[in-house]
Amino acid sequence: MNHSLISVEGISKTFKLSKKQQKLTKVDSKYLKAVDNLSFNAYEGEIFGLLGPNGAGKTTALRILSTLIKPDSGDALVDGYSIITQPEEVRSKIGFLTGELKLEDFFTPNYLFDFFSSVHNISSSVREQRKEILFSRFGIDGFREVKVANLSSGMKQKTSLAVSLVHDPNIIIFDEPTNGLDVLTAKVVTDFLLELKESGKTIIISTHIFSLVERICDRVGILIDGQMEVCDRLERLTGKLSLEDLFFLLYQERKGENI
Amino acid sequence: MRRSNVTTIMKKEFARFFGDKRMLITLFLPGILIFVLYTIMGSAMTDMLSPDPDIPPTVYVVDIPHSLEKDSLWSWCEIMNAVDQSMIKQQISDKQADLLIVFPADFDEAVARYDVTTKLDAPNIELYYNPLEISSSNAYAITVSILDSYEATLANKFDLNRDIDGNLATPEELSASIISMLMPMLIITFLFSGTAGIGTESIAGEKERGTLGTLLVSPLKRSELALGKILSLAILSFLIGLVSSVSTILSLPRLIGATDAISVDIYTVKEYILLALVILSTLLLLVSLVTLVSAFAKSVKEASTAIMPLMIVVMVIGVSGMFGSASSGSWFYLIPIYNSVESMSALFALDYSSLNVVLAVISNVIYCFIASFILAKMFNNEKVIFSG
Ligand SMILES: Nc1ncnc2c1ncn2[C@@H]1O[C@H](COP(=O)(O)OP(=O)(O)OP(=O)(O)O)[C@@H](O)[C@H]1O
Ligand SMILES: [Mg+2]
Repeated sequence: MNHSLISVEGISKTFKLSKKQQKLTKVDSKYLKAVDNLSFNAYEGEIFGLLGPNGAGKTTALRILSTLIKPDSGDALVDGYSIITQPEEVRSKIGFLTGELKLEDFFTPNYLFDFFSSVHNISSSVREQRKEILFSRFGIDGFREVKVANLSSGMKQKTSLAVSLVHDPNIIIFDEPTNGLDVLTAKVVTDFLLELKESGKTIIISTHIFSLVERICDRVGILIDGQMEVCDRLERLTGKLSLEDLFFLLYQERKGENI
Repeated sequence: MRRSNVTTIMKKEFARFFGDKRMLITLFLPGILIFVLYTIMGSAMTDMLSPDPDIPPTVYVVDIPHSLEKDSLWSWCEIMNAVDQSMIKQQISDKQADLLIVFPADFDEAVARYDVTTKLDAPNIELYYNPLEISSSNAYAITVSILDSYEATLANKFDLNRDIDGNLATPEELSASIISMLMPMLIITFLFSGTAGIGTESIAGEKERGTLGTLLVSPLKRSELALGKILSLAILSFLIGLVSSVSTILSLPRLIGATDAISVDIYTVKEYILLALVILSTLLLLVSLVTLVSAFAKSVKEASTAIMPLMIVVMVIGVSGMFGSASSGSWFYLIPIYNSVESMSALFALDYSSLNVVLAVISNVIYCFIASFILAKMFNNEKVIFSG
């Protein structure tokens, strides 16, 4: 087995709920354990999927990995760097992608690519080379001088993708890669993820879409209420069952009720 | 901390604000409008208050006495003998004539005869004018002063200020006192409003649109981001404040309608340098305050609302600087905002202690560093990043 590029060691995260949130979630507790003692590994050159229903804690877990938020306890090593004590190093090793992190409307893809390149301290010759490759790969070429505000949402997503990869990271963390995309754009994105994997990158995605996991993931962890129910190679987990059936089974076991 | 990262952030902020024509217009228009508005207001007021010098007031007299007949006394007006008093009174009320002076028929003799010890009435001069017409009330005022001084020469027990100008205030001091009253308040208001506009946009705006998070997942240090933001915002608001302040200084003489009385060359290089230091350090402080408030807010709107109380405090302190500079102890110069207003006021009035001004500058810079430190901490706080 390849060596582990990401090892998550017992991370937990509890949120204090506002009154409004308390009502929404219909629980009396003032606290919500979004991620509960979560541990897993992602190995070099694989696509790891965090699969779970809405509110399972996928986004929270990925935000912790990308150092946007700190866990209450536990730690994770990303390419050997601790998310707690070496956040800048971690951020320089990863590309973090999510629909929530937006690009400034006012700027063009070209400007943003250059800006994030200099944030990552990349020389201009390397930058131009990567820009050519990524922009033509995503069909951004014709839109490189169009302000982000005027791009379609698919083109925005693709620009985000290109801009997050200016530093050619070895590790890519992608929250809900196909959310809000039409089938064509979604295919461009998933094909690209497979391509990245072929070139030896390590990728973690989160999703609630079973077919996506089945199509691209090597290993998967199923997350329910912040806890990892199972985590293994896809084929080892499912066996005769489909992934969906397995999930329902796990969910029923956990909740002790029929769905 | 890497300096190149700070400058990268600053360059992006400049590109953001200077590349946006709409933004530029909303930022710099107020300054330009101030100039245009003050100039128009000033010249309108000057026109209203000073009668057209090309047309001398028309003054009618009845029985002008020999003693007051000298041409030099009436050179400022067109003086004529009144034929029909009631017609002229009508003209004055119609603003066609300016003044009617009616002397008693035997004025000189009556004056010579008059003695305070007798119970007889003193000879009486009648003046008819129209206070609604500027040239008329001017003519009235000049005539009264001519007659007053004539009356004074009649008694002539002593002279007062004959042949000398007793006003010992220099034009410099007059300028300084007018400028020192108005400018600190105006400058601090301009600085604050410029800062508030771009500060909320740059911090709360980026939060609201989700672009701050994109920066936060880059390997930038939080402190680099905080410092880059604060420095670029300070420079931008300095430019905005500069435009507003320069327009104000340029239009101030016109506003007060005294083109010669106010001049800004009364200040030396030292005052300008101290002033620049005070303004720059004040900006850093204001920017830090605005960015801190904006970092707590979820949206530009919320940030603008949260900044209102701060704005009011700043303006109240600014206005307080207009009235009497309390040359208080040095430790007063450690109070933010108050120290800036007092320093500017004292500098403009040419009545300052360099120690106090330097104290104000240094304390402002220290406050700014504390604020950037807090801002950097806040960028690390998930409640600040994802308070949605
Ligand atoms: N900042 C926060 N404050 C309070 N509660 C939060 C916060 N962030 C997330 N939560 C809660 O934690 C739980 C897990 O959220 P999370 O976004 O990680 O779920 P998810 O698996 O990504 O769900 P989805 O599929 O809907 O994206 C949810 O109940 C959410 O409401
Ligand atoms: Mg999510």
